Amino acid sequence: MEQLIAKLKSEIIEVLNLSELSPDEIDENAPLFVEGLGLDSIDALELIVLLEKNYGLKLGTAEEGKKVLRSVRSMAEFIRENNKG
Amino acid sequence: MAVYIKEATAISPQNTFGAKVLPEEPATYTDVNMLRCIEPVYRDFIDPMVARRMSRIVKMGVCCALRCLRDSGIEVPDAIIAGTGLGCLEDTEKFLGSIYANEEKLLNPTPFIQSTHNTVAGAVALAIKCHNYNATYTHRGFSFENALEDALLQLAENPGLRMLTGGFDEVTPGSYEITRRMGLWKNHPVSNLSLEQYHTRGSLPGEGVAFFMLGGRKDAGDWAAIRSIQTFYKPASEAEVAQRISNFMADCGLKTGKPDLVIFGKNGDVTGDRYYEYVISGLLKNIPHVSYKHLCGEYDTSASFALWLAALMIKEQRIPSYLEGGKNLPRELNHVLIYNHLRGVNHSLYFLERC
Repeated sequence: MEQLIAKLKSEIIEVLNLSELSPDEIDENAPLFVEGLGLDSIDALELIVLLEKNYGLKLGTAEEGKKVLRSVRSMAEFIRENNKG
Repeated sequence: MAVYIKEATAISPQNTFGAKVLPEEPATYTDVNMLRCIEPVYRDFIDPMVARRMSRIVKMGVCCALRCLRDSGIEVPDAIIAGTGLGCLEDTEKFLGSIYANEEKLLNPTPFIQSTHNTVAGAVALAIKCHNYNATYTHRGFSFENALEDALLQLAENPGLRMLTGGFDEVTPGSYEITRRMGLWKNHPVSNLSLEQYHTRGSLPGEGVAFFMLGGRKDAGDWAAIRSIQTFYKPASEAEVAQRISNFMADCGLKTGKPDLVIFGKNGDVTGDRYYEYVISGLLKNIPHVSYKHLCGEYDTSASFALWLAALMIKEQRIPSYLEGGKNLPRELNHVLIYNHLRGVNHSLYFLERC
């Protein structure tokens, strides 16, 4: 799990162009949106594309999206539970 | 009616950002295929969390516009008007590359959102929370001229307005490679200061951003006045160009019949420079002239750099040595004519006056 979280942090830094941050500076339990990293709706789209492109996972509903994209840890848990690869 | 340049800022391959006097020395580039801008420190003007989504040209455009606003002491202008020939190429290339690489699926939204031509004017408006008139013109070598024409028309109706008007274009390795195959550029590396001396086909690609704060009423400290601009498309011959310039100068009411200085858009391409040579040896013979594209390279909105240069020369009453044609330099710069064309298709004329 911790390995997956570290990998996910690096991928988030890359797709969101957060080049001024290192993976260690991202708190995997902190909210991704508004607080924490302070991401917005465009970032949400980028994270949805990341999940589908890198892990073959689609978010079914908006409610599920809110739950999965709450933090890096919630994204990692979603990947671990659903990734067949 | 004249329109007054209250303030101007340029980001170019020269040290021009925030310059209030002309650089003493030009930036020289030896054995290069393109001229790229000397970029400012963006974090002084743009929040890094906002800048992370911006491509190079968007950052340059926003930074240049915000500096122009800051230097003119205006927080929110009455309009933001931009002109760009090719828009935000880097993001366009990224988006198209992504379509190809991902077989038209799973496209990242950011490059698409940021690739539109009006990204810069929109990002400036967002940065300063400006809900006023916002427009971007794109029409090859008339893009900046159309933006300027819009500002001039609005100022004719409401001289008290303040219009932030600018032009921008970028060169990328990808766009360079495609246009090189079209034969637009020299097929060997060149030195920018020798651009006019090669006498071969093709030019040197460049890029730049220039923003101007324009107003319809004269104030102390104005850089220069734009008396008139004119564009014409695909002239039939060099003689038609000369006739159009002659008519333009007459329409501008030049009492002496001649400007003090002409700024030409010569770009070292023999196929296009013939228009300039024709009027230099004819209509504008014995009138001091300089060129500017050895400083910024060739791009669709390069006339915005020429306008910045002309305005600053008029303000300073000085022609830097690296621009001098070498003879008959005027003692005063009261009237300056700019003549530029893009690949013989889009021709533009500007007439500026000292304030």
